[in-house]
Amino acid sequence: MLAEGVYIVGAGMTAFSAKLHANKTGRELLVEASQEAVKSVDKGIMLHKDVEALFIGYFTPEYYEHQSHIGPLAATWLGLTPKPAFRTEIACASSSAALFAGVTAVASGLYDVVLVAGVEKMTSLETERVTEALALASDDLSESKVGATFPGLYALLAQAYFRRYGVTWEQLQRVPIKNHYNGSLNPKAHFQQTIGQIAEKVGKKLGVQYKDELDFLKNSPFNRVVAYPLRLFDCCPISDGAAVAILASGRAARRFTDTPLRLLGVGLGTDNVALQDRADLTSLVATRNAAEAAYRTAGISPKDLDVVEVHDCFTIAEWLAVEDLGLVGRGEAPRAYEEGLTGIEGEIPVNTDGGLKAKGHPVGATGIGMLNEVWHQLRGTAGRRQIKNKAEIGLVHNVGGSGASAAVFIFGR
Amino acid sequence: MSEGHLSLFYRELEAGRLTGSKCKACGEVFVPSRPLCSRCGGETETISLKGEGTVESFTVIHVPPVFLKDASPYILALVRLEEGALVMGRLIGYDPNKPEEVEIGVKVKFEALKEKHGEKEEAIVAFKP
Ligand SMILES: [Zn+2]
Repeated sequence: MLAEGVYIVGAGMTAFSAKLHANKTGRELLVEASQEAVKSVDKGIMLHKDVEALFIGYFTPEYYEHQSHIGPLAATWLGLTPKPAFRTEIACASSSAALFAGVTAVASGLYDVVLVAGVEKMTSLETERVTEALALASDDLSESKVGATFPGLYALLAQAYFRRYGVTWEQLQRVPIKNHYNGSLNPKAHFQQTIGQIAEKVGKKLGVQYKDELDFLKNSPFNRVVAYPLRLFDCCPISDGAAVAILASGRAARRFTDTPLRLLGVGLGTDNVALQDRADLTSLVATRNAAEAAYRTAGISPKDLDVVEVHDCFTIAEWLAVEDLGLVGRGEAPRAYEEGLTGIEGEIPVNTDGGLKAKGHPVGATGIGMLNEVWHQLRGTAGRRQIKNKAEIGLVHNVGGSGASAAVFIFGR
Repeated sequence: MSEGHLSLFYRELEAGRLTGSKCKACGEVFVPSRPLCSRCGGETETISLKGEGTVESFTVIHVPPVFLKDASPYILALVRLEEGALVMGRLIGYDPNKPEEVEIGVKVKFEALKEKHGEKEEAIVAFKP
């Protein structure tokens, strides 16, 4: 239970991109996201004066920027020194760990206002080095050493899922098709083109005409195999970006806005890092446990959700997520996607911002990036991708690595 | 000075043998060997594994880590050993460009594969039909 209420009074993020931030460092991206978060605070905020502590998710700054000790460094660049500041790390869910640290700090009554953030500056390295950096989230001895890559681990989960439920790679392609469409509506997304638009462009270059989006995904050499059966469009891109949120206690929140989001529920889960130590390859136990705890603290069920952000680092991960979060039953994701249940106009919109697939995945920034989307959807400021139904309750689901860490947060208006 | 579980595991692997741990409390078997059971925290005993099992999942890696640049594409599999443990290993004896020929459920046998990782040669877990 949360002893004290925790509120979100501001949120901001940079665009997620492989090009836009080429000449910026992680610390500068943090500043950019923070400035937007400051602007989003209805009654204004002065970070230097109001913020009491700072928690930052960044997965592998040592690799990308030859830098550790990110907490105080970020404090310096945000003008927050000498406030308490430290880095949190649980791979791709690193900023959810920062959010969790901020939530517990406020819920305990220790602080009234904290800043939580996430960042990853990935494009400073060649793709093969990024592959290596991401592989640090897996078991080095049992997985990386044998030749496992991050896409490879999810490919193993995909194969097990396909086999168990008798579904095909073709059916799974509804995930990137939906997420690219959503990304086309998001001015901050890494990819802002539908797969149809990409197919047309690639087709022109190759002198081929693709019948439809699936025809392109299936037959274009552009969609090459990364880790069989997963291909390029089954994988999220390598992006730079940062995201920030400002948390406040019930006492403090109204000083900043009359319409904060309230944190309703929170849950964390873990599982064995190595796939070979897991009990089940067709589900992420960490997600199931995190979700169960989050629903319990919020006192709600999946049916009460209006908008959901899930961790789709690879297409199969989105199917596992919607099942493990209880949006649909086990093995029911393929049918739900065929029926459009999770589209922006569907019954339960999932990844309205384009998801990791189209919005991008600057690893450490992803969790709070998702919170940014829920912030906009619940406040009605999501622009062209605003869901049609009333958005009262939103959920964020963030996974670390191949599923050894998971965080779930539920927010209400 | 007693030997660590992983040191023993890799020393055995270099010699072509696969070892694991069996939990004295719940009976679960894990590879590599380890001091405590990853399921219940109970104490374990080190056991030799026969190395026979079935493929539970597999993938073909086309974008490898830097140290395996020259080895790709290659097949990775999760194999359920007869003793119950699930193990990741390289699957050899198949053409990585014909993944449709690999079947989930096929019986395979353990083999220690010696592979160049940078300057040094290391033994890794592998399976073949
Ligand atoms: Zn045990």
